[in-house]
Amino acid sequence: MKKDLSIDFLGVHCENPFFLSSSPVCNNAEQISKAFDAGWAGIFYKTVGIEGMNECSPRFDIISNEPSSWTGFKNMEQISELPLEKNVIEIKKLKESYPTKVIGVSIMGSNEEEWRTLAKAVTEAGADIIELNFSCPQMTSHDMGADVGQSPELVEKYTRAVVESTHLPVVAKMTPNITKMSVPAIAAAKGGAKSVSAINTIKSLTNLDLDNLTGKPVVNGKSSVSGYSGNAAKPIALRFITELAQCEELKDLELSGMGGIETWQDAIEFILLGCRNLQVTTSVMQYGYRIVDDLISGLSHYMDERGVDRLEELVGIAVDNIVPSEDLDRSFMIIPTVDMDKCLGCGRCYISCYDGSHQAIEWDSQNRKPIILEDKCVGCHLCLNVCPVSNCITPEKVVYKDGKDHTDKEVVQQLVYQ
Amino acid sequence: MVVNPTVEYEPEQVEAFDFRMAMEEASRCLLCEDAPCKYGCPSGTAPDQFIRSIRFKNVNGAAEIIRENNILGASCALICPHEKLCEAACSRCGIDSPIQIGKLQQFATEYERKMDKTYLSQTDTYSGKSVACIGAGPASLACAAELSKQGVDVTIFDEHSQPGGMLRYEIPPYRLPETVVDHDISQLEKLGVKFELNHKVTSEELEQMKEKYDGVFVGVGTWEAKTLNIPGSNLDGIFPAIDFLSKARENKESYSSLGNVVIIGGGDVAMDSAATCKLLGADSIYDVFVESLEHAPATQKEKMYDFQMGIPLISEFMPVAFIGDEKVERVRFEHVTNGSTMELEADTVILAVGQTTRDEAEAWKQAAGIFTGGDMVNGGDTVVQAVAEGKEAAAKMMNTFNE
Repeated sequence: MKKDLSIDFLGVHCENPFFLSSSPVCNNAEQISKAFDAGWAGIFYKTVGIEGMNECSPRFDIISNEPSSWTGFKNMEQISELPLEKNVIEIKKLKESYPTKVIGVSIMGSNEEEWRTLAKAVTEAGADIIELNFSCPQMTSHDMGADVGQSPELVEKYTRAVVESTHLPVVAKMTPNITKMSVPAIAAAKGGAKSVSAINTIKSLTNLDLDNLTGKPVVNGKSSVSGYSGNAAKPIALRFITELAQCEELKDLELSGMGGIETWQDAIEFILLGCRNLQVTTSVMQYGYRIVDDLISGLSHYMDERGVDRLEELVGIAVDNIVPSEDLDRSFMIIPTVDMDKCLGCGRCYISCYDGSHQAIEWDSQNRKPIILEDKCVGCHLCLNVCPVSNCITPEKVVYKDGKDHTDKEVVQQLVYQ
Repeated sequence: MVVNPTVEYEPEQVEAFDFRMAMEEASRCLLCEDAPCKYGCPSGTAPDQFIRSIRFKNVNGAAEIIRENNILGASCALICPHEKLCEAACSRCGIDSPIQIGKLQQFATEYERKMDKTYLSQTDTYSGKSVACIGAGPASLACAAELSKQGVDVTIFDEHSQPGGMLRYEIPPYRLPETVVDHDISQLEKLGVKFELNHKVTSEELEQMKEKYDGVFVGVGTWEAKTLNIPGSNLDGIFPAIDFLSKARENKESYSSLGNVVIIGGGDVAMDSAATCKLLGADSIYDVFVESLEHAPATQKEKMYDFQMGIPLISEFMPVAFIGDEKVERVRFEHVTNGSTMELEADTVILAVGQTTRDEAEAWKQAAGIFTGGDMVNGGDTVVQAVAEGKEAAAKMMNTFNE
C-alpha cells in the first residue's frame, strides 16, 4: 500500500517526508541518484565548504548488542571532501536529472564572507533549500561546526549573512551538545531562518582500544571525541525536538527532525512531535537506501489504520501530551500480573524486583514461579520490562494511593507491549 | 533437525512466533544484496523483502508482500519444504543455520488473519472477461487470484464440497489446520472469485465452457490412487492413502479401531498417513518402503516427524503379497537386494504408492484451447510449484486477452 505521503516543507512540495541528512550518504550526484530512484523525496547534500576536507582513516566505531546490528555509531568524518566548485557541478547535475526531487544543500563557512559565498554558489547551482551546519562536532577548525552552534551570537550573525545572500528558505541545523537548544534556535530565527533541524551528532567516545590505550577508531595510535548517532540517539533527539516544538518563540518555524530514525515507527514519533520533514543517515549507512521502502509502506499502513488521509494531520499532535514531570498524575499505581501459563520460570522479574526495585516479588523456588506481592508492589513495571516472554507480565489493576475507589476516573494506559 | 510432533490431530493453529520472537529471528537475517533466498522459491516469493519489512517493524508491509505474490501464502508458510527451497539458499547457512523463513512467513500471515487485513484489490484491466477454473486446488486457486486481481470474472468448479483440493483433503490438519486454508480461500472470496462446488466437470461440459468463457484453466490434480499388482490386492482392509486421508476428518472416531496398520510408501503422503494413524489411535503402525531411508522421497522434516512419534520406518522392503481370507491379515515383503523376507500382521493396509489424474481428465492435458497446471501436469510436486504454474497460466491467458 502506498498512500499519498506528500507534505510541504518551507513551501517546497515533497513527495514524502523522507530526506537523507547531510552526511556520507549524500556525497555526490551518482550516489544520490540511487537514493532518489529508491524513493527518497529529497536530500540535504553533504555539507559544502570552501575547501574539501582531509579525513582520517579509519573513522568509524559502533556500539552493538547483536552481531549484525548497531544501535549506536560514531563517526569522525567532517564536511564534504570536495571543494565548492566541484560540488556545484554535482548539484547542478542532480537538479537537472531529478527536477521533482528536493535538493537541500548543507553549507558551512568559517567567517561571514565564506557563508555568503557558499550561499550564493549553491543558490545559483539550483538548490531548493539551504541548511546551515552549525553542529558538526568533529571539525578540525574551531571556527566551524558545533563550537559555532553553541554561540547564539555567531548563529544569528551567520544565519543573517546567508539569508541576505539567497532567496531560498534557510534551515539552521542544531547541535545537541548544549543544555538548551532553544537558545541557538531562537538566535537562528532572529537571523532569518525559517526552520531548524535537529539533532546533529552527540560528542562521544564510544569505546577504548585496550591494546593501544586510546579511543576507537584508532588513528595511528590516537583517537578523538566525535559524533555519535544511530537508533541509540533517538531518545535524545526526541527530547530536543519536543523542546523546540514547545518553545513559544519558535512557533512560526518548521521543524526537520533526525536522530536514530530506522523504522516507520521512529519516523512517526518525530512527526507527532512536530516535524514536517525527516532526515536519515545512520540506518542508511548500515542497511542502504532500500530502507525507505518500509518507511513509506509502514507510514502508509499506519495512516490507513488511523483513518488519516493527509500526513499534515499527524504533525505535532503529541506535543501537548509531553508535560513537565511535576504535572503528571501521581495519585495511583498500576499493579501488574503474571500469566502463569506463559511464565517460563526464569526468575528474571524476581531478580530485578529484588535488586532493582521494591522486593515485591516472592520466588516460589519449588515450582519456579514468581508471586507478586501487591502490598509491596509500587507499580514501577521493571518486572514487565525484563520479562523475556511477550505479554506474560501485564499491567492489571489500578490502585489509588489514597486507598479509595475512584471508579469514575479513567486512567489512560499503554495499549501494546511487545 | 528438531521437529516437535504435535499431539493433536486437529489443532486450532500451528505454534507461531510472537512479535518478539519474529523480531529476533528477522534480526538474524543478513539482509543480503540480491538475496539468494528469492531464487529458491518456485513461485517467486521474495523472502528477503518480507523479512526486511519485519526487521523494520512493518508487519503489514511484510504480510502484504507475501499475499500479493502468493494467494496461498498462509498455507505455504506451513507446508512448503523450506529446507529444500528458500532456506537452502540462505546465506546464513555459511555461519550457523538458515533464517526460519517459513516461521517468519507464518508470523506475517497470522498477523493478517488475526487483524482481518485485506491487502488485495481488483483493477479493471480485464473487466468484462470471464474465466472458468476447473479444480479448486492450489494451481487453480493461484490462477484464479491472478486473473481476479486484474478484474477478470472467475468461477472455480470443483467436485468436492469445499475448496482447497489437496490442502483440505490430503494434507492432514496437524500440518495445515483448516483455519489456515479457510484464511487463504477467504482472500479469493474477497476478490470476488465464485465457487461452484459439488460440481464434477465432464469432457462434454468442458467443451461448452470453452465456448462460454474467455478462458478455461484446468488443474484437477492427481486424485486417482495407483495400486499394487500383487496377490491379494483385492482383499478388504486395503485402502488408498488419498481416500484414507481425505476421509480422516469425518471418520476420525472410527479410525481409532484401525488396529495394526501397515503403510506402504516412502513419500510425504505415506508419512502423513502414518502420523495420522498415530494421532487417531492405531494400535501399531509400520511404514515400509522400497527405497533406502535417505532416498525415500518424503522430506527430511516429514521423516523426522514420524520418527520422533515412534513410528518405525522400514526401508528397502518390497511388498510381494497380501495374505488373508476376504480381509487382509498379513503383508509379505521381500528385501530388495538380499532376499530376506518379512511378514507383518495387518488389520489395515494403506497404500501410498503414487497418484495419477482421473482417466477422463487425462485426455485434457493435450486438449487445445485450455490452460493447465499443477499436479496433473507436473505429476505431483509441491503446493508452491502448483502456485507457480497457476500464476504462469494466468499470465499466458491474459496475454491472449491482449491479442
